Amino acid sequence: MLTLQVNGAAHQVDVPDDMPLLWVLRDVLGLPGTKFGCGIGECGACTVHVDGRAVRACSLPVVLVGDRPVTTIEGLADDQVATEVSKAWLEIDVVQCGYCQPGQIMAAVALLKSNLHPSDDEVDQAMAGNICRCGTYRRIRAAIRNVAGAV
Amino acid sequence: MIGRSVARRRRAAGMAVLAAIMLGGGTARAQDADLVRRGAYLEQAADCEVCHTKPGGVPFAGGRAFDLPGIGTVYAPNITPDMETGIGRYSDAQFDSAVRRGVGPGWRHLYPVMPYASYARMTAEDVRAIHAYLASLRPVHAPTPANQVRFPYNIRLAMIGWNLLYRPSGPLADEPGRSAAWNRGRYLVEAAGHCGECHTPRTMMQALSVTKSYAGSVVDGWLAYNISSDVDSGIGAWGDAQLSAYLSTGHADGRGTAVGPMADVVSHSLRYLTPEDIAAMVTYLRGLPARRSDETTALVTPAALRQAAPSQSNGGRLFASACAGCHLTDGQGRQVDHAAIWGARSLGETDGRNLVRTMVEGATLQTAQGTMSMPAFGPEYRNQDLADIANYAIGHFGNRVGHVTAGDVAAARAGVPPS
Repeated sequence: MLTLQVNGAAHQVDVPDDMPLLWVLRDVLGLPGTKFGCGIGECGACTVHVDGRAVRACSLPVVLVGDRPVTTIEGLADDQVATEVSKAWLEIDVVQCGYCQPGQIMAAVALLKSNLHPSDDEVDQAMAGNICRCGTYRRIRAAIRNVAGAV
Repeated sequence: MIGRSVARRRRAAGMAVLAAIMLGGGTARAQDADLVRRGAYLEQAADCEVCHTKPGGVPFAGGRAFDLPGIGTVYAPNITPDMETGIGRYSDAQFDSAVRRGVGPGWRHLYPVMPYASYARMTAEDVRAIHAYLASLRPVHAPTPANQVRFPYNIRLAMIGWNLLYRPSGPLADEPGRSAAWNRGRYLVEAAGHCGECHTPRTMMQALSVTKSYAGSVVDGWLAYNISSDVDSGIGAWGDAQLSAYLSTGHADGRGTAVGPMADVVSHSLRYLTPEDIAAMVTYLRGLPARRSDETTALVTPAALRQAAPSQSNGGRLFASACAGCHLTDGQGRQVDHAAIWGARSLGETDGRNLVRTMVEGATLQTAQGTMSMPAFGPEYRNQDLADIANYAIGHFGNRVGHVTAGDVAAARAGVPPS
């Protein structure tokens, strides 16, 4: 039995130690906002925050989370930076099919929380591991820059 | 998969032990059970499984091919207790002769790809325990493919001369004046663990060099690093905690993660050793004489890596999209400790031998927390792209000028065994 801190609440989960965090979030805790993309940490669709850092939940064995707090896209509803990010996203219609977007937004929020005014290079570096099949990269970068101007 | 088969095997061994106790009831049987348990641990220390199992095959059923350049191909035999194709008919004396003297039943001389010259330094009791453990396994009918060895190496009797010259005559005697930990460590490193078989360069006669002991050697296309106590090219600069973490988990922060054959050694052998035995190995390794080699270690800290300006080179951009997702550009690793690569030796090697091989082959390591793996980068990347990534990584993490070429990548791809 493991205790996980997810979105501010403690959850007891009875799962194998090496189950990926993503499976626990989606299938055990019923939080389907985080998406399964490639399963090998190469696409970024499953990005969540662990201790405020953007990590790929698909390749993180749950036992390694320990007592560090986990935040998923569902846990960002009342977050100030996240609210600005979603406004900026809507303003320029970033989303096309939307599948990768929870991961994109988690990566963007983690970046902006640690660095509110990132340079273009820093944005590119932080977002490089999040792939978008629809090619919305330019709008994602523009929206992140707009948040930096708004906050 | 490997983890499950190991667990299955351990359960089977446990049941064999239980059955032995229940059936026999007497002291003799309990002693047998004890011997099997001891043998199971010693088998892990001697790492028989990794060579005697073909990729995807049943553990200990053999069939793994060893390509010996210029000599031929030798196959590891089935060492399950199958009567026809395994070692089911071996007596303790025959088993001991094969393991410690390199001479199988019927005066069949083994090739020293079987590290009997190292095992010769094990004690007879330990080898008997390993035999008892192997005899407790489920027999598997698996004929070993015939070796293809060129003349004159196919004259097995020639090994008699080699053995006279290079095979130690008996087990290591404890050196008085040295600590118990040092003596135990020497036994684990020199005898059971046979570390020198990969980490020590060979002479023209295929014997392990004495003057260059543990100075590093190329095996199967991988560089087995210099693990002598030299500060620049060996492990002299490693902390004790780093060394024991690397041996027991396959990873040490600031030293990277074991890949390739060393990942196999950690996965099947070292991670099962007791903390006392790991500490003993560290004690002994620390005392190895310093041997300089061409390779030198380069340590750039994550703080310094974070300061580096983003690279607009092809390699830098590809690294950001293909590698930084897990490793991060400061090398600290995104989700698991094993992805922390700052300070890894492979990133200080300007020819990128192990780095490129890892990129094209991927990496898998069994740990107490499950399997840690890195995917292989296949034909979706051109040879030149992978060379560019490697040279960027060597420059960024190792502060060296990498000189990996597309040809090196093609050669590494050709060296990857089919899975």
